[in-house]
Amino acid sequence: MSAPLLRIEELRVAFRGTGGLIEAVRGVDFGVAPGEVVGIVGESGSGKSLSMLAVMRLLGATARATGGRVIFDGEDLLAATEARMREIRGRDIAMVFQDPQSSLNPALTIGRQVTDVVRAHRRVSASEARRIAVEALERVGISEAGRRLDAYPHEFSGGMRQRALIAMAIACRPRLLIADEPTTALDVTVQAQIVELIAELRRDLGLAVIFISHNLHLVAEIVDRVVVMYGGKVVEDGPAADIELAARHPYTRLLRACVPSLHGPLGPLAAIEGAPPRLGRMPAGCPFAPRCPQAADACEREMPPLATDGARRIACWRPQ
Amino acid sequence: MFRLLAGRFFASLGTLFFVGLVLFALTRAGPGSPARIVLGADATSQQITQFEHANGLDRPFLEQYAAWLFDVLRGDFGKSFVTGRDVAGEIAGALPVTLSVVLLAFVIAIVVGIGIGSLAALRPGGPFASVTRLGVVLGLSIPAFWLGIVLIRFIAVELRWLPPGGYVPPSSGLIAHLQTIAMPAVSLAVYYIAVLARMTQASLQDALRGDYVRTARAMGLSSPRIVFYALLNALPPVINLAALSFGYMFGWALIIEQVFNIPGLSRALLNAISQRDFLLLQGIVFLFTAIFVLANLGADLVNRVLDPRQRSSA
Amino acid sequence: MNRLARLARAADWTGWLGAAIVVVMIGAALLAPLVAPYDPVAISIEHRLSAPDAAHWLGTDQAGRDVLSRIIHGARASLAVGIGAVIIGALLGVSAGLFAAYKGGLGDQITMRIVDGVASIPLLVWAIAIVGILGVGPVTIGSLQFPNEVKIVTLVGCLFSPVFARVTYAVARRIVGADYVKARYLQGASHWQIALGEVLPNCLSPIIVQATLLVAIGIVIEASISFVGLGVQPPQPSWGTMLSDARNALYSGEWWLPVFPGIAISVTVIGFNLLGDAVRDLFDPRNEARTLVA
Repeated sequence: MSAPLLRIEELRVAFRGTGGLIEAVRGVDFGVAPGEVVGIVGESGSGKSLSMLAVMRLLGATARATGGRVIFDGEDLLAATEARMREIRGRDIAMVFQDPQSSLNPALTIGRQVTDVVRAHRRVSASEARRIAVEALERVGISEAGRRLDAYPHEFSGGMRQRALIAMAIACRPRLLIADEPTTALDVTVQAQIVELIAELRRDLGLAVIFISHNLHLVAEIVDRVVVMYGGKVVEDGPAADIELAARHPYTRLLRACVPSLHGPLGPLAAIEGAPPRLGRMPAGCPFAPRCPQAADACEREMPPLATDGARRIACWRPQ
Repeated sequence: MFRLLAGRFFASLGTLFFVGLVLFALTRAGPGSPARIVLGADATSQQITQFEHANGLDRPFLEQYAAWLFDVLRGDFGKSFVTGRDVAGEIAGALPVTLSVVLLAFVIAIVVGIGIGSLAALRPGGPFASVTRLGVVLGLSIPAFWLGIVLIRFIAVELRWLPPGGYVPPSSGLIAHLQTIAMPAVSLAVYYIAVLARMTQASLQDALRGDYVRTARAMGLSSPRIVFYALLNALPPVINLAALSFGYMFGWALIIEQVFNIPGLSRALLNAISQRDFLLLQGIVFLFTAIFVLANLGADLVNRVLDPRQRSSA
Repeated sequence: MNRLARLARAADWTGWLGAAIVVVMIGAALLAPLVAPYDPVAISIEHRLSAPDAAHWLGTDQAGRDVLSRIIHGARASLAVGIGAVIIGALLGVSAGLFAAYKGGLGDQITMRIVDGVASIPLLVWAIAIVGILGVGPVTIGSLQFPNEVKIVTLVGCLFSPVFARVTYAVARRIVGADYVKARYLQGASHWQIALGEVLPNCLSPIIVQATLLVAIGIVIEASISFVGLGVQPPQPSWGTMLSDARNALYSGEWWLPVFPGIAISVTVIGFNLLGDAVRDLFDPRNEARTLVA
């Protein structure tokens, strides 16, 4: 594997609670190679979105990164100044979010919002910015882009809005796109289109992508590698095909059984018993142990390390 | 969109018609008929009948109202029975005075109110936000006319910076004009500064928490630009409130004019009351009501025009 | 009760301060003859214009009347007008809102157009004009005689009513259309049962919020109308007339005459505003009570 584009090392994120800091991301560790598509999978509260917001340094006032490093292209983003981050965001790394309905500014035209990104990072004339915006919109599959520049977000459908957001994200040709559950708020048919679009952009632009989702099958369609998170930690990490076909962590296996595949036969759906651990109430051992059908005494006592096994990594005392 | 505008406009005119009718009826509800008031207690009933016939007061009530309203729409407010003077002329003399105080107060309220509210919204838990919160409660609670009295005492009497009252029209010197209306306008503005600052703060704080703000940050837009864009979404309710405030300001300006002894509509209205000059009173109150109704209409329309969702769906 | 516990916990100190001010002011108004040190209208030429001292804590006015006693008695007019107007406005507005929401159709249209019409009336100007037309004398109904303030209370109350009508209407429309209410109708509940059992309890929070904040506005309106001489008539004390009289003292040294009545109004209004804001934060998280401006 070539030198990673992004290297997340021992990342920790904590919320400021009434009784001090509450850790929600507890030492996350993985890398993304140039042009690689990585899926991060986990239930809500697993810390997947939070770690990516930490990478972008967009955590807001209530949470902050308390440890680790985020090395992008040789530079530690957690140590960068805010001004430097502003240069990087949108130009080198861009991020799109879950809800395209609220993620676009309702008071501004689509064209304005795309050209703003261009002009935030490149010294170009207004007409040149417009040209780049039209190109970006066309690339994400918005037809008659020139005419639609003057449309407002409410005149777009949900899928179109998500396309427009992706157009904003790729307008400056970043090297890494972080997509935080970009399809969750969309209709099922539209979901597949957006997934297809992201795969296409990766092919055409050589873009590296981090695709966050709670749907393992959806992710497996397009990603090279899957990172499974649980309780603020990476529990399994490996090539998509291996994870899809032969997950070794009990959590991944259950997760796979929970969601119907888009293509496979529709078998009976499973559900994982119990609920994810609450913030600030993390068990001492493996966070999944209380819900794990295979849990032994050792699992309750001590957190298993993330052990490397060929191309895969797994954190489990009793992998399958 | 145009149909909507026209519809709201005619609805407002309808409201004004009925409210004017109530006003017209009320001015006739007081003790003493106009004829009695003008002709005195010892006028004969024949003289009274004659007077009423000459002035159309013996016609049916609704007909009188319709005639009056029709004249008003053409700018003719009638001729006072008491002073014999043209009511429109009296109003035209006093209105610019009141208007200059209200307009200055309005500008101060908008600039200062939105400015303070925006700054307070940028750091929700910060010291400026706390000071603003305290200031807003004070501003909402201190009556404008008392503030005026206190200002006269300290700025005019103790420090002698500004004249304690009176009015100089702009034609006699803009500086002297502003000196006479500065304290009245500030007294009048303080309450509305508080109202607008509070609304701006709440609305902008809300907008800054929006997902699109996070998107803009994730795309590397600069902070001032992000705040400006959030403000675009935060301002419609503020501007709506500002338009409403403009209507209310005229009412409180009446009291403020009394404090600063300014010869505006307040003096005209109180004169009309003390001389039982109904036509003048009716004209002034109708004018205030029209301004108020139009301010409400403006507030309503501003919201629709500023919001792109409503703009294209309407 | 759960709500009370939440009240105690969540209301920060400003809410409690507001409540304390309101209680003290209402207490002073109710017990004025007991707590005021002097007769508020007793003229005493030898004590005129004396500065605040041990005998007269807040000094005396041009007629030698005790300022503190006049302020305490003046609280009666202010609070009576403020609270009275809000009660009248709430009764009228809630009835209108309920009626319109229930009746639907033409009755709804007409009622709410009337409410809109009343809301299009600039309060202060009309209050001044109408008292001006009717005169400042007492009102006689049968054998009962009421002071001039009755006109102001009634008028301000009527003009406050749209605020309550709109809040009630909005909540009532939402509730009448809700599935669980439809289900209760199917079970045979009457309109009255729904109105009293479902709609009113749900309107209560925004109504209480608006009521508290409107009392503050009513107090300032009373003071303003009295200030221009159309409210409480001398020699009866009121904060507005005291300030009006104090204008004569602006150029001489009697600072206490304009200062103390103004502080009395401001503190009372602050009390109601703080209490109203605290109640809003607590009971009306949905913010059904709209921003008030006057």
